[in-house]
Amino acid sequence: MSIQTSDDLFIPASGSSPEVDFRFGAHTLSLKGESYPENAAAFYGDIIARTRAYLAGPPDHDVTVDVALTYFNSSSTKMLFNLFAALNDAAEAGTRVVLNWYHDVDDDTILEFGAELHDEFAALEFRDVAVGG
Amino acid sequence: MNYAEYRDFSASVAQRHIVFYYFGYFSQHVVSAMADAVRLKLEHAETAASTRRKIFSSFVEMAQNITHYSVDSLTPIALRDNQLRQGSVCIGIEDDRYYLMSANPVAAESVEALREKLEPLRTMTLDDIKRAYRETLRTEQPEGSKGAGLGFLTVARDASAPLEFEFEPAQGTDTVMFYVKATI
Repeated sequence: MSIQTSDDLFIPASGSSPEVDFRFGAHTLSLKGESYPENAAAFYGDIIARTRAYLAGPPDHDVTVDVALTYFNSSSTKMLFNLFAALNDAAEAGTRVVLNWYHDVDDDTILEFGAELHDEFAALEFRDVAVGG
Repeated sequence: MNYAEYRDFSASVAQRHIVFYYFGYFSQHVVSAMADAVRLKLEHAETAASTRRKIFSSFVEMAQNITHYSVDSLTPIALRDNQLRQGSVCIGIEDDRYYLMSANPVAAESVEALREKLEPLRTMTLDDIKRAYRETLRTEQPEGSKGAGLGFLTVARDASAPLEFEFEPAQGTDTVMFYVKATI
């Protein structure tokens, strides 16, 4: 399969996987819903590969990443960490990457994971967005 | 079973404060449907949102462990997708706290590795668990693992008491029944 970076990536949500709406052309990447697929490595493997291919292009655009996940299991957590690592690499190489991290105002687990991402991936412009309350 | 016996059975389930129980084959679809059922039940039980989230998360981790690692499998052991494996999972209330239990057979030779993974968690503080979680998040996926090696740490993080576990050799087979209990 050839990877065409200009192609947008859309995967509709299922009962246990999030909606993936990566509009590479518009430089906006969105993940929304719940994430506990049977095989997180396979589910996110292709998404990460496509994102890396997109980020390998010239850093002439800001990238906005919206993550509004209400639950993710342990193996998804690991893969999300790898996705943010890829985005951080691009940010270190000069692309401005804004990460909007949406979470329920009283969801400590997702808040803490966001803080973890903020610490680990310092090149990302991290914005914590508490929802509800 | 006649209706009277069924009434007795249902009454004893209620008396034991069993919120959810399933024994059978675990597939991703089954886990997802059960997760919906568990969520619905907890939402209507006036459980605090943070407790609901912890129960839900522990439930998914324990159920997916069965999908991934039970050796009572209808699908080839090496298969990574669309797995169908047997086990049981239960949610109940004891002393005003929720607990989750799961059981599935494992190969006798996996017992030591599981014990080495679980035993240290029992004496770790919450800070220790969070530290180990952060370290594991940064390591490569362990060989033979279908997850991230984070599953038990995730359950331990959400539990209010040390994880309990037990291995019970199954007579006449080379498998061992593996039990886990998490009190939230």
